[in-house]
Amino acid sequence: MKRVPLLTTVMGKPWLWSFLAALLIWIATIAFTGGQGAGSLLSGSLSFSAFFVIVGIGQMFVITTGPGNIDLSIPANIALSGAIGMKLMDGQPGLIWLGVVGVLGAGMLIGCANYALIRVLRIPPIIATLSASFLLQSMAIAYGRSIRIQPPEMFYQFCTGNIWGVPFLAISVVLLAVIMGYVLTRSIYGRWTIAIGQNARAAELAGGHVNLIRFATYVLSAVFASLCGLLLAGFSGGASLSMGEEYLLASIAVVVIGGTSVAGGFSNVPGIWGAALFLYLLVSMLNTFGASAGVRLILTGLIIIAVITAVSGRKSARTA
Amino acid sequence: MKIRPLRCLFLSSALLLSPFMQVQADTADKTIALSNNYAGNSWRQNMLGSWKQTTDDAVKKGVIASADAFTTGENQATEQAAQIQNLILQGYSAIVINAASPTALNGAVKQACDAGIIVVSFDGIVTEPCAYRISMDFKQSGLDQMDYLAKRFPNGANILEIRGLAGVSVDEQIHSGIVAGAQKYPNLKIVGSVNGNWSQTAAQKAVAGILPSLPNIDALVTQGDDGYGAAQAFMSAGRPTPTIIFGNREEELSWWKKQKDANGYESFSISSAPSISSLAFWVAQQLLDGKQMPHDLLSPAVSVTQDSLEPALKGLEKGGIVSQVYSVDDVATLTSPSAH
Repeated sequence: MKRVPLLTTVMGKPWLWSFLAALLIWIATIAFTGGQGAGSLLSGSLSFSAFFVIVGIGQMFVITTGPGNIDLSIPANIALSGAIGMKLMDGQPGLIWLGVVGVLGAGMLIGCANYALIRVLRIPPIIATLSASFLLQSMAIAYGRSIRIQPPEMFYQFCTGNIWGVPFLAISVVLLAVIMGYVLTRSIYGRWTIAIGQNARAAELAGGHVNLIRFATYVLSAVFASLCGLLLAGFSGGASLSMGEEYLLASIAVVVIGGTSVAGGFSNVPGIWGAALFLYLLVSMLNTFGASAGVRLILTGLIIIAVITAVSGRKSARTA
Repeated sequence: MKIRPLRCLFLSSALLLSPFMQVQADTADKTIALSNNYAGNSWRQNMLGSWKQTTDDAVKKGVIASADAFTTGENQATEQAAQIQNLILQGYSAIVINAASPTALNGAVKQACDAGIIVVSFDGIVTEPCAYRISMDFKQSGLDQMDYLAKRFPNGANILEIRGLAGVSVDEQIHSGIVAGAQKYPNLKIVGSVNGNWSQTAAQKAVAGILPSLPNIDALVTQGDDGYGAAQAFMSAGRPTPTIIFGNREEELSWWKKQKDANGYESFSISSAPSISSLAFWVAQQLLDGKQMPHDLLSPAVSVTQDSLEPALKGLEKGGIVSQVYSVDDVATLTSPSAH
């Protein structure tokens, strides 16, 4: 068959599926509107996907370290960090550095706290990070009472601006993804992360500092979530308590749709970008078609199942 | 018929005295609990704040012995049902509920009624007949938005609708008001509809996603906590800002004020007041006092117009929502839906 060469290329790169799905959906939307708004749809999807990608990368590293590892504190972390960032910046351009430093510091503390619960108190990650999220959400409520402090104009411009239709934010996050992709596949830390995910015992016997690597990974995830909270607050003109809500499931969904194994040990960074674009464009397409909320949710579920099946179909094809 | 003079005397004196007896007298030793399912947005924060303000004052004045607020962690009906069962065991005289589900708590609510506890639900109401329900006329608030737009755009307009959380009854009700308005004014055309989930960031995202495919938009109808996010989406897409109906949030009104001062921007704002919790408290207190009331009550919506914008903003704290403080006298003015 003529298709076979293409098929084998796709089989070899699981992340191509998510980009393919995103492209098909974009074309379907454009076809529906008769070409109107093609560029701005793409520009918007790059902006919103960037946030998914930031948290997705952090979550992916956590998931990579093996079964049971997951960070559920991301939504509360985003809400808290957004509030901290906006409060520290206080709308003044001269204080942007303080907001950034403060938020990154908060992220590191949150990551340390998460791992302390997991390691010192021996609580399973799913429970540890979930209970941490209650603490963080309460702190966000108490701390962020005077919410909606406007971000400094310069920071707002960075978060919402674009060059030839390509958002600054998307450019930065693509760079971040390239760096993290390199870290995952080329650096010692990344390779140990993958090794631990495939077999923690074997990695330990081979001389890997399993606990240290996991510690670093939870801190990484928390810092990325904090960064996302800060940028999101800048993007939407201020922090709000509910702004992290959708990132719990989305952070896991982009990782899985992107072709990373939920069981850990097999991961890739580019797929997260494809999956984030795919999710955003999917909802936009169904909105554009005028589908009602019920139909939209059903179709979203079905299409995600189809894409995940396609991704895992590659694995069975490889083992067969 | 045998007349008993002593009994007659007691009865008539009681009837004569009753109007002069203070509300405090009969409920001073009673306790009321608030069972709340969610606290994670500004409306709920304001709602809890209003409850605290009213009940602290009532406790200090000896109207009631205590009025504690309890919020569940996970916004789940099962968790709230267990919480209500706990409150029954703790022996509260009345339970005021903002419910996670209109039906899933009915079992626990029935248990409370059977234990002689008065149950008042508000905002998120329960359908169990023994409970009382205080809700805003959400359908009317949807219709009010369309009425305003019909006056603003006599020659017709393209309208984008931002809905709330899919599957929640409040969203259905406001939407039905919007639909009724679109039928009433055929030249107001609803050209798109998205779910903003009552969250500025979710609304911003949903609007940004559908905007490229839409023609020129003249106006937005909303459900509250989504107008500011929608405005952000229009700005970053570089499209002219439409007339956005707001939901009484401070950031929305501040933004409106800024636009009004800069270019004469005109709009309208309507939402339910979070102080409905204090109204629910007074209803519960009055019921404990033995007052008879219909089981379904309507609370009025609060709206802000072009002229009342400045007074509404004055004294409104950052992150707050336009509200009004209810007193015990407001209970008497409540209407039931049938009388409406």
